[in-house]
Amino acid sequence: MRDVAIIGVGMTKFGRLEGKDLMDLLAEASLKAMKDANVENKEIDAVYVGNMLSAAINHQTAIASSLVDRISIFPAAADKVENGPASGGSAVKNGFLAVASGVYDLVLVVGGEKMTTADTDVLTDYIATMTHPTAEYVHGITLPALAAMLMRIYMQRYGVTERHIAMVAVKNHKNGMKNPYAHIHREITVEGAMQSVMISDPLRLYYTCPISDGAAAVILCPADKAEEYRDKPVKIIGVGQATDVQCVHEREDPAVLKSCRIAAEKAYKMAGITPKDIDVAEVHDAFEILELVESEDVGLFEKGTAHLAVEKGVTEIDGDLPINPSGGLKARGHPVGATGVAQIVELVWQLRGEAGERQIKKDAKRALACNFGGFGNNTVVHILEAMWK
Amino acid sequence: MSREEVVEKDFMVYRCKSCGRKFYPKHDRCPYCKGMEFEEVKAGDTCTLITYTKLYILPEGIEMPPLTLGIVDFGEGVRALGQIMTDNPRIGMKLKPVWGFLRKVGGKDCYGFKFKPIEEEK
Repeated sequence: MRDVAIIGVGMTKFGRLEGKDLMDLLAEASLKAMKDANVENKEIDAVYVGNMLSAAINHQTAIASSLVDRISIFPAAADKVENGPASGGSAVKNGFLAVASGVYDLVLVVGGEKMTTADTDVLTDYIATMTHPTAEYVHGITLPALAAMLMRIYMQRYGVTERHIAMVAVKNHKNGMKNPYAHIHREITVEGAMQSVMISDPLRLYYTCPISDGAAAVILCPADKAEEYRDKPVKIIGVGQATDVQCVHEREDPAVLKSCRIAAEKAYKMAGITPKDIDVAEVHDAFEILELVESEDVGLFEKGTAHLAVEKGVTEIDGDLPINPSGGLKARGHPVGATGVAQIVELVWQLRGEAGERQIKKDAKRALACNFGGFGNNTVVHILEAMWK
Repeated sequence: MSREEVVEKDFMVYRCKSCGRKFYPKHDRCPYCKGMEFEEVKAGDTCTLITYTKLYILPEGIEMPPLTLGIVDFGEGVRALGQIMTDNPRIGMKLKPVWGFLRKVGGKDCYGFKFKPIEEEK
């Protein structure tokens, strides 16, 4: 197996992007990443497009072929990858495998979603179709309702208060303020978050990510050729993916995200490192409770202690272990298929020292991305390393 | 059957003939031992609420917020998710499965199990 490097990254602004359709977003992010990698005049062997909802809400299928047509990278092999909200992470993993195997030398991975043109109740319903059809969906379950039930059971077990959940939201909004690509540029307070509208008790509006449009892209090549394209290449040193039972009620322990735990263990094993070697992480906070639970289940904190790290400021941009310096899904936004790729784009910028005002204070060498699909039944973890450090 | 009516009905789950473990919903292979032969058995008359939420932003097909949803535990490793027929849920409360109207899906009425509180015996 060959080592694989990321030599280019790019993304669109995330948000309510009037006048830009799904293909506009995918093309923009792809061309930015190709420019960043200096491969505009090279032959791209393959493209993997992470997207969940094009057929459901954009009336468009086979979008990977459409993207090739838009950006003229014929005759590149082209596939769409769908894994719910982890479509982006799964697309990167597929690109990684394609380069690692030796089959392709230059691969474009792009994730994108155009969501804001769909009605909210229609979107909520489509997203809820990820759940078990007869044992979950038919009862009226939504993703916020599943997050709310996790939040209640987790808070009760570990003595976590609503204030802690609000503090995670405040941190992510603060980070988002410094991220020009973020959907939400608004500072919030703990008190304000705790008075926001109730979506699914105890989950409030400010503990939930927005509905966004956007796309993000990376260019992959064999690590030993990376410096032929540009300086500061980032190696993908670990990839892990794991599944769990679909129904939340069937999980061994409903307060544990076992797929995150196993995906991370696999990624650490491939990388030959431990959680202590991680300097910065992007985790999938579609709901703020998930930032706490995932950061524990991927091994960054002992179970039941992530809220204490938040209290101490450990996860802030200037802390010992910054989490979601981009603002996370909460503030950067969550164009579903884009998220897993956007996490990796952010981490590459952080490792290169190109994250502007939100650049973390510590000199980071290794970074972890956790992209969570379904309601935690299919998780993809990537570990990145700065090759020049 | 009217939308308001509920009837008592046994909540059936699957028991693996190889390892004896019970589960719900159906898997074509046992999640524990990969056995492929099952029998349907009754889960039990009562269950316990282990977590819940009151959902205010409802999906299409459900009209009256809030909708109380929860996860119940029947013991022996069997749990289920469903609507909880009370506005005052609490963790640990005892419930029984009943059959009734759940929601509309694609304009059609859907019926299924939901969970009704049992008055606690003194």
